[in-house]
Amino acid sequence: MKLFNNISPTDFSIASEREKFQKAIDTLNLKISKSSFEVHPIINGSEESVEKSISRENPNDTSEKICQVHLSGTKELEKSIEKLKQGFLSWKNVNLSNRANTLRKVADIMNKKRFELSAIMTKESGKPWKEADADVVEAIDFCNYYAYLAEITLDPINTQIKKAELNELVYIPRGLVAVISPWNFPLAIPCGMVVAALVSGNSVIFKPAEQSSLIAKEFVSILLEAGIPENVISFLPGLGSEIGNAIVKHPSIDMITFTGSKEVGLDIIYESSVVRPNQRNIKKVIAEMGGKNCIIVDEGADIDEAVKGILYSAFGFSGQKCSACSRVIGVGDIYERLVDRLTSAASDLIVGRAENSASFLGPVIDKDSFERLNKFIENCNKEYEIGYSTIAPLGGYFIGPHIYKNVPANSKLWQEELFGPILASLKCNSFAEAIDVANDSPYALTGGIYSRSPKSIKYARANLEVGNLYINRPCTGAIVQRQPFGGYKLSGIGEKAGGPNYLKQFVYERAISENTTRKGFVPGLAD
Amino acid sequence: MTLENEIYQFGEKIFNSIGQNAPSGFGKKGLASKLMQWSMTKPSLKTNLFRLVDVLPALTNSDVVAKHVHEYLGEDLTELGPMFKFGMKLAPGLPSVTNIAVKKSVKEMAQMFIVGETPEIALPKLKNLKKNKLAFTVDLLGEYSVSEEEAEIYLKRYLHAIKVFGEDTELQDTNKPIFKGHPGCIFPSNVSVKLTALYSQCTPLNFAKSVEVLSKRLSTILKLAMKNKIGVYIDAEDSEHNPIIYETIKKVYGSEEFLDFPFPGLVIQAYAKDSLELTKDILDFAKRRGKPVAIRLVKGAYWDSETASSELHGWENPLFIKKEKTDANYEKITKLLLENVDICLPAIGSHNIRSLSHACCYAEKIGVSKDKFELQMLYGMADPIAKAFVGEGYLARMYVPLGEMIPGMGYLVRRLLENTSNESFLRNTFHDQNEIKSLLKNPSENNNEIV
Repeated sequence: MKLFNNISPTDFSIASEREKFQKAIDTLNLKISKSSFEVHPIINGSEESVEKSISRENPNDTSEKICQVHLSGTKELEKSIEKLKQGFLSWKNVNLSNRANTLRKVADIMNKKRFELSAIMTKESGKPWKEADADVVEAIDFCNYYAYLAEITLDPINTQIKKAELNELVYIPRGLVAVISPWNFPLAIPCGMVVAALVSGNSVIFKPAEQSSLIAKEFVSILLEAGIPENVISFLPGLGSEIGNAIVKHPSIDMITFTGSKEVGLDIIYESSVVRPNQRNIKKVIAEMGGKNCIIVDEGADIDEAVKGILYSAFGFSGQKCSACSRVIGVGDIYERLVDRLTSAASDLIVGRAENSASFLGPVIDKDSFERLNKFIENCNKEYEIGYSTIAPLGGYFIGPHIYKNVPANSKLWQEELFGPILASLKCNSFAEAIDVANDSPYALTGGIYSRSPKSIKYARANLEVGNLYINRPCTGAIVQRQPFGGYKLSGIGEKAGGPNYLKQFVYERAISENTTRKGFVPGLAD
Repeated sequence: MTLENEIYQFGEKIFNSIGQNAPSGFGKKGLASKLMQWSMTKPSLKTNLFRLVDVLPALTNSDVVAKHVHEYLGEDLTELGPMFKFGMKLAPGLPSVTNIAVKKSVKEMAQMFIVGETPEIALPKLKNLKKNKLAFTVDLLGEYSVSEEEAEIYLKRYLHAIKVFGEDTELQDTNKPIFKGHPGCIFPSNVSVKLTALYSQCTPLNFAKSVEVLSKRLSTILKLAMKNKIGVYIDAEDSEHNPIIYETIKKVYGSEEFLDFPFPGLVIQAYAKDSLELTKDILDFAKRRGKPVAIRLVKGAYWDSETASSELHGWENPLFIKKEKTDANYEKITKLLLENVDICLPAIGSHNIRSLSHACCYAEKIGVSKDKFELQMLYGMADPIAKAFVGEGYLARMYVPLGEMIPGMGYLVRRLLENTSNESFLRNTFHDQNEIKSLLKNPSENNNEIV
């Protein structure tokens, strides 16, 4: 059995590493300039032709087309389910370590293609270099970690050793798992959900966010290349409102793992509770949803570290992470100084095309986001005290960093998840009050404090309601195994991704007890 | 006589001339020495104590000071109280006399290592150094520059300091050089520049722009320094930023405009595994340039943070793990620099009497005279050592931090940690009174890993 080790992020201080990344972008640019990519549904290993399709543009440069996404429909869904049911029958019996080793192979291939994969994300999703690299790293870690975890946690357990009985707890896969993934970690998140389902012995329908279909297709190709059987994975690109909805409602789906917005997540949970005709199973749902994550900075904080950490947490990938910091509380006198330094720092962050290595903020994901956020900002600029607001470059969906001061804790800006580079701040008079204000939120995903008071640190450990608490460091960037990730309250349901309990969600437990005696003869008893 | 024997004889002479004169931080008086001695005898408290020293200057009111003091030291206040003469009543909610006393004590401690808050305030102490035949280079302590506004302020602080020193006739009196004819005394005063603080977006992913912007700002500093007769060193930093720093140095020092700047300085960190290669590369650069550069050789001050960061990222540590390896590498580079005094002015920066003696003896052996290199040490940490070497006819320069308390704290804590770590040469020398022989031991002995 192999142990687990995280792979290392790219060290961009090495010139040759930067060159490799740049070369991957140049190669991709050349390909796209010849013709954009086509993304088709993939069922049983082959691409399907469908009627409808949509065009996806480069968010860095809306005049450039990235790909044409061919939209899956119910026909593709039915065909997938038929194939996957067949595939499941053999895949579930494949030896656990063989399944685990296939995941490790997926990891190896991704590692070899890491710059190529990153390059796709810079263009398709507007992910800046470092963020794109972290995405690939996390995807690779998920493969290696779940391979390792499967081997140490999914073998049968002897519950109690008795001479006359063999008592076992065994794990069996659930069956057909649907993976519905978001665009913000377009490789890592779907990869984690898909490979977790696969290594546990399930077959998988994978429906990516339409905004990140190209990288999703690359991922599926890698799965097949690594030796995941063709009839165990179906790739159904399309629209959430159509194919996503149909998948959720389908009676043959045994489990849905979802990462995305609270609205869609809650809707999936609701729809999954409905038992439809011919349904023989209660659907299990894992849903990782939003956050309105808060960082508290107290009077004794190292303000240099706090400013740097908050900037990265709030504006890394333009705030489009569920873990991103969107609220800051300064305790007492430090508030003004903190916000002054944050606003002055925000004004110098580099906003530009994600393909350019220097960009700190790339574009937001698409036109909808761009328009929604701009409208919200317009309102904020009227309603709240502006710390920093700016006009971003044209040509792509660029939005610069925004900071608001003295924002009321009951306001929309303070309470609602925005998924953009918008940071609200307010001042509290005590650390305990700050914790209360932070906790007054429907979400409990990530959060952080900057403090050098042992007592405050202890207090936050006990009282800040978040799934992932970060002390004196940024509140984004969870690393597989090191910081298992996920929230509670309305932030989600399910065990933490990249944590020791994650895989158990993809299996049923069966207890088997066998009487091992025959007519009074108990083997081994007299020895 | 072998080089080792010479080093031993010379080193012994230095030790004898130092005698019992411990540097300020190691004497019996003074808060810093008490704190350091105390933490040396009570390692369990060292972490808490240093964390407290780290946070104190940032605290703006006495209640908050009391809270932190109490939280970090708790019961140990009983023991610590009398030592600091502020009694045992230190606790949250108590009025401020005692709490102010604590902050004051820390400030006093900082003043041993930090020359003052502004260049003007620092002038008398700098003149004092000169009177004692010690050259200096001033480093301006600063917070991170998170914005261009802050980077601009930092740049202005350098320009201001250069003017203040440059306009001081006593400091700049070239008729009374500390060491006549020594290239390190062509310009009487000197500053050390922390380059990355001059540009807020200085990162490897913004490499080209970083080099461009820093080159411009460094040129501004050099022009004014040239006019005011102030020498310049560019400090080395961490491995993430060093490639940007060296690239900028080459660009600016290599430009026509600054070819006449006498001995513009840079720094090599011997703890870096690639430092020998880097030294060769820099010497090649100096050859191409046609005019010598000053090269300060240090062991390196970012060991903890770099080691921690490489562990977190899963990167190979760019630094030597073992101190002896660094020491041995240091001597290798020392030799290389001394063998190339036609194209560089070596500045041997260390408090380790073995390392310093090695440089002096090797220079002697290969016929490099005392006016071809200098020794450098940190202000407040090595005065008796510096004096002993000056007594032997060498030029010694003190690295003098200047600035406010808060940004200075990181520096102070690093110095305190350095002084009390088990491997610290200073600690071994002045606290433990180790055998001179073992202190002067060749670091390459039993150290086969060194290539």
